[in-house]
Amino acid sequence: MSKWMLIPCAVLAAATTVTAQDARQVVAEAQARSTTKSQRYEGRLQVVDAGGKTSEKRWTYTRLGSHGASKTIIRFTGPAEVKGVALLIVNFPDRASDQWMWTPAINRERRIATQDRRTRFFGTDFSFEDLEERDVDHHTYVMEGEETLEGERCWRIASTPRPGRRSQYTRSTLWIRQSTYSFAQVENFNGSTLVRRLRYRDMASVQGIWSARTLEMHDFTRNSRTILTLESLTYDVPLRDDQFTVQALQRS
Amino acid sequence: MILLRLISWPYVRKHAGRALLTVAGIAIGVAVFVAMRAANDAVFGAFTQTVSRLAGATELQVTAGFSGFDEAVLERVQAMPEVAVASPVIEAVGATGLPGQGNVLILGIDMTGDRSLREYDLESGDAAVLDDPLVFLAQPDSLMITAEFARRNGLRTNDRLPLDTVDGRKEFVVRGVLGASGLSGAFGGNLAIMDIYAAQHVFGRGRRFDRIDLALTPGVALDAGRQALQQALGPGFQVQTPSARGQSFESLLRIYRLMLRFSSLFALVIALFMIYNAFATAVTQRRAEIGILRALGATRGQVGLLFVVESAVAGCLGSAVGVALGYALAGGVARLIGTLLEGIQGVGQGQAEVTPTPWLVGVALALGTLTSVLAAALPAREAARVDPIKALQRGRLQVLGAGENRARTLVAAGLGALGAALFVGTTSLPAFYVGYLCLLLAALLLTPWLSVALVRLLRPALVWLRPTEGMLAADSLIGAPRRTSATVSALMLAIALVVGLAGIGRASHGQITEWAESALNPDFFVTGSPTLTGRDYRLPEAMTGELAKVEGVAIVQRMRQPRVAYRNSLVLLMATDVESVGRTARRTVLEGEAADMYRRVAAGEAAIVSENFAAGFGVHAGDVVELAAPTGMLRLPVAGVVREYSDTQGALIVDLALYRKHWHDDTVDLFRVYVSPGAVPEEVRGRILTRFADQRRLFVLSSHQVRAYVGRMADQWFSVTWVQIAVATLVAVLGIASSLTVTIADRRREFGVLQAIGGLRRQVRAAIWMEAATLAVVCLVLGLVLGALHLYFVLQISYRDYPGLRFDYAYPSLVALAVCPVMLAAAVAAAIGPAESAVRGSLVEALEYE
Repeated sequence: MSKWMLIPCAVLAAATTVTAQDARQVVAEAQARSTTKSQRYEGRLQVVDAGGKTSEKRWTYTRLGSHGASKTIIRFTGPAEVKGVALLIVNFPDRASDQWMWTPAINRERRIATQDRRTRFFGTDFSFEDLEERDVDHHTYVMEGEETLEGERCWRIASTPRPGRRSQYTRSTLWIRQSTYSFAQVENFNGSTLVRRLRYRDMASVQGIWSARTLEMHDFTRNSRTILTLESLTYDVPLRDDQFTVQALQRS
Repeated sequence: MILLRLISWPYVRKHAGRALLTVAGIAIGVAVFVAMRAANDAVFGAFTQTVSRLAGATELQVTAGFSGFDEAVLERVQAMPEVAVASPVIEAVGATGLPGQGNVLILGIDMTGDRSLREYDLESGDAAVLDDPLVFLAQPDSLMITAEFARRNGLRTNDRLPLDTVDGRKEFVVRGVLGASGLSGAFGGNLAIMDIYAAQHVFGRGRRFDRIDLALTPGVALDAGRQALQQALGPGFQVQTPSARGQSFESLLRIYRLMLRFSSLFALVIALFMIYNAFATAVTQRRAEIGILRALGATRGQVGLLFVVESAVAGCLGSAVGVALGYALAGGVARLIGTLLEGIQGVGQGQAEVTPTPWLVGVALALGTLTSVLAAALPAREAARVDPIKALQRGRLQVLGAGENRARTLVAAGLGALGAALFVGTTSLPAFYVGYLCLLLAALLLTPWLSVALVRLLRPALVWLRPTEGMLAADSLIGAPRRTSATVSALMLAIALVVGLAGIGRASHGQITEWAESALNPDFFVTGSPTLTGRDYRLPEAMTGELAKVEGVAIVQRMRQPRVAYRNSLVLLMATDVESVGRTARRTVLEGEAADMYRRVAAGEAAIVSENFAAGFGVHAGDVVELAAPTGMLRLPVAGVVREYSDTQGALIVDLALYRKHWHDDTVDLFRVYVSPGAVPEEVRGRILTRFADQRRLFVLSSHQVRAYVGRMADQWFSVTWVQIAVATLVAVLGIASSLTVTIADRRREFGVLQAIGGLRRQVRAAIWMEAATLAVVCLVLGLVLGALHLYFVLQISYRDYPGLRFDYAYPSLVALAVCPVMLAAAVAAAIGPAESAVRGSLVEALEYE
C-alpha cells in the first residue's frame, strides 16, 4: 500500500518552523520521515455509498521495504464471503506494480490486471493508481502557500506528474502539516474537476513516526466515501523476502 | 395513356383472374427474394450486433483459432507498450438446468480489468457485491445474468441458478442483473457473466484462455498496434478487430448464405417465366385488338410500349405486394436461419427483428419491375410485330419460322459446344460457371425444337390411344411450339432442379452414412457436451486411464478438435491417437497409401487432410501444409487425402501428441470407446456413467445416436431447398394452366367447329387433357435429362466451389419416378379449368371468333 497514505510522516520534535521552503524539499522530507523497513496493521475498510449504505471488510496488512521497492500482502479476514482471499502487491520504482490474488474457493492464484490504473480497488473509492507508491521524483512541485486545515497549519503544494509519467490525474494539491511533516490532505484533479480527496486523520506517533490511523477517501464522481481504520499498527517488524512470494500467498 | 385506358384496362377487368396471376407471379418472386434477404440481414445483423455488444470498447482481439492458449500469453500482451488494457476471455455455451431455457452464452471475464473494456450496466443486485469484484472473484459460484433472462425465469439477485459444469450440475448464485443496454442485448438475453477463473474450472479449460480483448494505448494507431502484437506473438495467433473476427465466424455459415442467395435467384427466375407466360397469353388473346390498332394507325413502337408499360405497372403492383408478403414471411425464414446458426454457435441469437429497410424495399421494387419488364419484352416485341392481316389468323404467330429455327439451332449449337468445352475442359471456377450457363441457354434455345421432336415421337401413341383427340392434341403442340416453349422451359428447369437436389441429397446421404459407419464406429463417444461438435465442456487427460479401467472397455481413443487458422480460414484440426484410430476406423483413402499414411501421421511426421480441405485449398498428398501454432509455424507434409465429412471448412487429422507439443493443450473434447468382445455395450455404458456420476458432466453417446445426429445435420443442410421444390411444383401448375389458356384462346374457333360438326364435349375435354398430359411428358423427358446434367453441375459445385465435398454421381431414379405422376397429375389438374372453359363457351361466339 502507498506510504503516502498509510505511513504518515514522523514528527521531528525539534523541528523549527519553516516559513518559506522549497516545495520539493517538503515532500522529500515527508517521505524521509515516513520511511521504515516494514509495517503491519489490521485494517477495517468501510465503504459508504451515495445512498448512505455501508459495507465493511477487514484485512491484515503486511509490508516489507519502502518507497517504490516494497512488497505487500493483504489478507482479507472478513466478511465471510471474502475471508481467506489474499493479495500480493510488488511495487517497483519505475513502473506499475505487479499484483496477484489467491482465491481459496478455487484453490489458485491469479494475476490481477491493473493496466487501467483508474480501476477502483475492489469496490472501494481508491483506484489502483491511488495505491501505488509514489516517489518524490515522479512529480514536480510548486509551493502555493500555507493554510490551516482542521486546526493545523499546513503547506499547500501543487503537484504535477513529470512529462512521460501516465496518470489519471492532471494535477494534485497536497497539504502537509508543518508541525510533523505528515500529509493532511491530497486533492486529485482531472482538468479543473476535483475527482478524489484523501484525508489523513487520527494522527498518532507510532514508534516515533507520526501516522494517520484513519484515512478517508471521497470520490466526488460517485459521491461515495471509503474510510480505512488502522489498528495494531507497528513498524519495522521482522519479515523475510520469502514471505512475499506467490507461493507464500497460498499459505494462510 | 389513352391506349392504356382504352385497351389495357378493359382487358384487365375482363381477365381479372389472369391479371391477378401475373401480379401473383411477380409477388411470389419478389416475396421470396425479400423474405430471404430480410431474414438474412436480420439474423446476421443481430449477429454483428451481438459481436459488437460482446466486444464493448475492445479494439483488438487475440486468438489462436478456437484452440485457446496459455495464460502466460496474457502477460506478454499486457507488457507491450502499445497495449493499454488487456483482458482475458473465455466464451462458452453453458447448459442451464432451467426448463425450456436451454443454453446460455457464458462470458468468463476478469472483473479486475474487464470493466475498462465493457460496460456492465448493472441494473440491480447487492451494490457491495456488484461494485466489489473481490466478492465476485472470491466466490466462484457467482453469476451475473441479463434482465431479460431474469425476467423470463423469475430470478432475482441471490437466487440460485443451476448450470452444468464439467463436474456435473452445480448451483450458481445470481449476484447481479445486467441492465437492458450493452452486453445484455446479446443472444436474446441468454448471456451470463462469470469470473474467468471460475469459467476455466466450469468448462475444464485448465490454465488457458480463449482469447484476449484489448484496448490500445491512446495515440497508437489500430493498424500499428495490430502489427506490433502480431509480430510479438507470432503467426500462431490471430490479432483482429472484433468485427473481423465476427466475419471469420460468419464465414462458417457461408454455405447457408449461398443456398439462400441461390433460392432468391431461383425465385426471380421462376417469376420471370411466369410473367413471360402471362404476357405471352395476353398478346395471344389480344392479337385481334392489336391488329385493329395497327390497322387504325398505331405504330409498332406504341403497341410495344403499351405492353412494356403494362408490365411495368404489373411489376410495380406485384413488387409492392411481394415486398409486404416477403416481410411477412421473413420472420419465419429468420427463425429457420436462426436455428441453423444456433446449431453452430450452440446458443440462439434470440428473435431477430426483421425491419423493412429503404434499401431492400427499393431494390425489391426495382428488381420486380425490371424482371417484369424484361419478361414482357419478348411478348411486347411480338405484339409490335403483329401484322394486321395475320392478326386475324389464329395460330400463325405461334409457328416458328424456318429462319428463326435455324438461327436458334445455330446459336444453341455454338453455346453448347462452348459450354461443353468450358464445363469439362477447364479447372477455372468462373469458366466452369460460364460453361454451365452456356449449356443451360443452349438447352433453353433448343426447347421449342426438342418439344416438337418429342411430340412427333409421341404422336403415334396419342393417335393410337384416342385417334381424334390424340391427333388434335399432338398437332396443336407441333403447330405452335412458341406457345408452349416458356412453360416447357420453366417446367424443365424446375424438374431439373428437383433432380439435382434429390441427386445430391441421395449421394450425400449415402456417402455420409457410409463415412459415419466407418469413421464413427466406436461403441461409445464419451463427451462433456451433448453433441460431438460441442467443445465447450472439456475433459481432462486423467480420464483416459480412468475410462480404460472400467470393466468391459477395450480401447479408449482421445480426440481434441479445435478450429485453427489456415490461410485466413478456420479449419477443423482433429488431433487424435492416430495409430489406434487407423486400426479401428479407416476412412476411404482418396490420395496416398493407407498404411504408410497412418504410420507417418502417428509418428507426428505428417498430416492427413479431408477431401474438402484438399479441394478448397488445392492441397494434395505430398504437399506441405503450414499451420500457425502458438509455438510457431508448423510445417507438415500431407500424407494422404481421406473422405471425411466432419466439417464444411475442411479438416486436418494429426496425432494428439503433436498437437499437444505445439498447442500446449492437454484437454480432451471426446473419448472414442470400444468395448471388449463379449461385453454388453449397454452394461459398459452404465458402468461408465456410474463411475463418473458424481464427478463429471458426461454424455455417453452410442454410435447409433451419433450417426442419427450426423444424419440430421446432413438433412438440415438441404432443408432450405425444399422451399425450392415447392416453388417448382407451383410453377408446374401455373405454367401449364397458363399455357393451356393460350391454347384455348388460340383454338377457340377450332373447338367451336369441332363441336358444330358433331364433336362431343368429352372429346374436346379429352383433347385438352391429352395436350396437357403430353406437355407434362415433354417437360418430364427434357427436365429429367437436363436434371442429369444439372446434378453433375451441383456435384461439381459442391466439390469445386463450396464446400469441397466430392459426392459420387448417382441419378435419383426413385425421385425421378415419383416426379412423373406428380407432374402428370398437376398437368391434368391444371387443364381442368381451361378444358371446361373451352366446352362451356358459346358455340356461336366461338365460330364468330375470327
